[in-house]
Amino acid sequence: MGAFETVVLQSGSGSGSAEGAPLTDTIGGLLGFGSNMGPGETLVAAFIGAFFIGNLMLAMTGVAGPWAKRKITAAFTDRIAVNRVGPFGLLIIVADAVRLLSKELVVPDGVDRPAWDIAPILMAGSAMLGFAVIPMGNGIQLADPETGLVYVFAVSSLASLGLVTAGYASNNKYSLLGGLRSIAQNIAYEIPLVVTAASVVIFAGTLRLSEIVAAQTEPLITIVGVSIPSWYAFVNPFAFVLFMAANLAEVGRNPFDIPEAPTEIVAGYQTEYSSVYFVLMYLGEFLHIFLGGAIIATIFLGGPAGPVLPGIIWFIIKIWAVFLFTQWMRSAIPRVRIDQLIEIGWKGMLVLSFANLVLTAVIVGLIA
Amino acid sequence: MSLEDPQDQRGAQEGELVGVTDEGVDYDALEALLGDHVIGRESHVNAEAFVIRPDEVQDVLFALRDEAGFDHCSAVTAQEYEDRYESIYHLKKYDDPTQEVGVVVPTSKRAPRSQSAEPVYRTADWHEREAYDLIGIDYDEHPDLRRILLPETWQGHPMGLDYNQDQPQVVTFESHTNPLAEDQEDDESDTMFINIGPHHPATHGVLHLKTVLDGEQVADVKPDIGYLHRCEEQMAQSGKYRKEIMPYPDRWDYSSAGILNEWSYARAAEDLADLEVPEYAQVIRTMAAELSRMAGHMLAVGTFALDVYGDFTAIFQYAFRDREKILNLLEDLTGQRLMFNYLRLGGVAWDLPEPREEYFDKIRDFLDELPATVEEYHNLLSSNEIFQIRCVDTGVLEPDVAKSHGATGPVARGSGIDYDLRRDDPYGYYPELDWNVITEDGCDNYARVLCRLQEVEQSARIIEQCVDLLAEWPEEDREIQSNVPRTLRPDEDAEIYRAVEAAKGELGIYIRSDGTDKPARFKIRSPCFSNLQTLPEMAEGEYVPDMVASLGSLDIILGEVDR
Repeated sequence: MGAFETVVLQSGSGSGSAEGAPLTDTIGGLLGFGSNMGPGETLVAAFIGAFFIGNLMLAMTGVAGPWAKRKITAAFTDRIAVNRVGPFGLLIIVADAVRLLSKELVVPDGVDRPAWDIAPILMAGSAMLGFAVIPMGNGIQLADPETGLVYVFAVSSLASLGLVTAGYASNNKYSLLGGLRSIAQNIAYEIPLVVTAASVVIFAGTLRLSEIVAAQTEPLITIVGVSIPSWYAFVNPFAFVLFMAANLAEVGRNPFDIPEAPTEIVAGYQTEYSSVYFVLMYLGEFLHIFLGGAIIATIFLGGPAGPVLPGIIWFIIKIWAVFLFTQWMRSAIPRVRIDQLIEIGWKGMLVLSFANLVLTAVIVGLIA
Repeated sequence: MSLEDPQDQRGAQEGELVGVTDEGVDYDALEALLGDHVIGRESHVNAEAFVIRPDEVQDVLFALRDEAGFDHCSAVTAQEYEDRYESIYHLKKYDDPTQEVGVVVPTSKRAPRSQSAEPVYRTADWHEREAYDLIGIDYDEHPDLRRILLPETWQGHPMGLDYNQDQPQVVTFESHTNPLAEDQEDDESDTMFINIGPHHPATHGVLHLKTVLDGEQVADVKPDIGYLHRCEEQMAQSGKYRKEIMPYPDRWDYSSAGILNEWSYARAAEDLADLEVPEYAQVIRTMAAELSRMAGHMLAVGTFALDVYGDFTAIFQYAFRDREKILNLLEDLTGQRLMFNYLRLGGVAWDLPEPREEYFDKIRDFLDELPATVEEYHNLLSSNEIFQIRCVDTGVLEPDVAKSHGATGPVARGSGIDYDLRRDDPYGYYPELDWNVITEDGCDNYARVLCRLQEVEQSARIIEQCVDLLAEWPEEDREIQSNVPRTLRPDEDAEIYRAVEAAKGELGIYIRSDGTDKPARFKIRSPCFSNLQTLPEMAEGEYVPDMVASLGSLDIILGEVDR
């Protein structure tokens, strides 16, 4: 018991700091592997850590997909939504899980079999991988590589590969259109996304996510005793807005939900998926929203920083706030047309994001 | 042959339309215009009709359209008699729909062939296909004479006289082709054939759009209808006038616009049998009809938002929330929320619900909230910038194209065609009330939505005045129904085409009586049927999302398209 308490104390004190012990070491300490773990011990500790973080994210998705999404949308649209099963309808999560998993997996004729099977796994998996480097506070961070930010963008854009694979392998014209649309959209929006993130990197001077978080802890200005931290959302609000918009396109929510566009191309790339594969697709979609939220929280909202509550709680609050924002957009904003979307991406966002990057570079160069 | 000496009056007034007088249509002048083409003349209850030879259809219709100004082909009614087939073209004018004329084209029993009117009125395309499908008349020079409501494999023409209803429709599996099987693959071209519907989120029912895409753009689209064909005409023909037909109109346009549909039948049958309707009942009808129209338009706006927004967003739910309130009011009045069956020949089924004051207060409360509601719609919908870039200048329908396709209702008024039967061909209590016909000149999806939103406000004005009238109405004068004979037998061979302004446009009924208590021919002219024909005009060359938006802006109800 004593060892456990020490660990909790250690991880608590390390929150938000670049020196915070990575989760693997913490778990290693907890298991009594000592401070110098061998490769085998590291592997075990890493698996346990991954299991913990993965389940945390899956649990959040489980709450978000069947329940929170319905409740939030209902609140926006004057409805009640699920309220029959359990308190506040919460047990609908169980009911939905059973329902979805017990459905028949319909495999249409002529699907390109290995590709068709890989796509949903790729989509859910790529989002899960991204969480490995996100500092969630209280020392919860699986790995902290030097190129953390690049890694996150790299794995999360693997999902595009999943989308286009699903679209092409389904042997369905709607899916094909959806796959093509998603590729066009993701290329058009990932560049502004990454370029905008690069402006943050110029400020922080590092790609290591824990250091980006640490750079946001100093107070920006203090007004009547209340100090506003130097979160990059406050330092560079323009970049924040750009990133939020590009992120909406990245996760495929209104006004950029073109790859799915139920009223046009049915459900795009996921038309032919049912049962478990559908769950994986859906899961991947929500994990991506949360991953987007996690990136936004990390590079713009000070990561796990916040008063009173532990860091992990703040972190979860922040990514749910981003989730709420995507649901708000979904309930209120019309979808743009595919050509308009490409136009906004290439002619608007790209130009703005480069302008932002150059301006940031100039300002930082002058100050520093 | 022509009964009168064909005096050549043609060209007497160059530039002016033939046959227009202050009292209405001068049929003698029209007959003179047509000259030798006229081989007989019939008197229908609504208008005179000229009988012409089946190979001179286009000459006659061109003359009537270009020189007499009949630019609106309302409907084509086909029917079979013991000795002949007959197609009737019901012509009207968009400027003044009270000016009507019928063109009757009899064809022989053995080889029913008749010239197509499609080159004159584009709307005849589908109408003649329907006539071919159900009655069995062949139209020469028709661009695409296929079945329209029934499957391609159907044997026989079910509304013909000698059709055997018990004959099994044997269709081998091979002959019943899967549309996917004959995939229109073409190695030469880059286009892609795609079936949108019959099961698709944006088709508002079971509509099948055979679409050829060039990338994301629509190269060609052919609507395929008939999935919801329920033999409504046949069923009306086997019901007695008095009470057995009235429940069916509720099932045509089932978007809660039932009262308007009932009124179309009531108006036609009342004029045919010469029945009076008490003024008090007319006011109730007017009020109920406008409530129906509001509910229909709310649904139209909500589902259009669904098509453009892409999800069940706030505006869709708000529209449905407000439609519920109207349905509550209609439920209080009629006892039903959708299939009202409230109108009767000669009046309405029963008086307003008691206590009347409470009911009036309910309606007034609703009307008081309405301006804020409509404002909310404008905030969420029409003033949203993304909505505007999606809807302005997409799905353009030019006025002359709309006229040629027989478009009516908000679809026509959104293209700047000032045509509303409530004002132009007055019925009910509309002439006594103060309201405006809304037109928008945009010709695009946006204009049609604005049109509907403003019409909701106009309906509210009408209802408000009706409520005031009803509240003041002296108790001893509240006659809800006139005396109607227990068995209604209109005169033998009386024919009538009468239309009302339904939520989607001109909803017309043609009835031919054979002296019995059931109609010999009952034809429904559905506004959605004609409006849907304009879809290819609006969609071709546009992006798929715009086609979906255009389809939504047409506000079709498949129950009414297919009947």
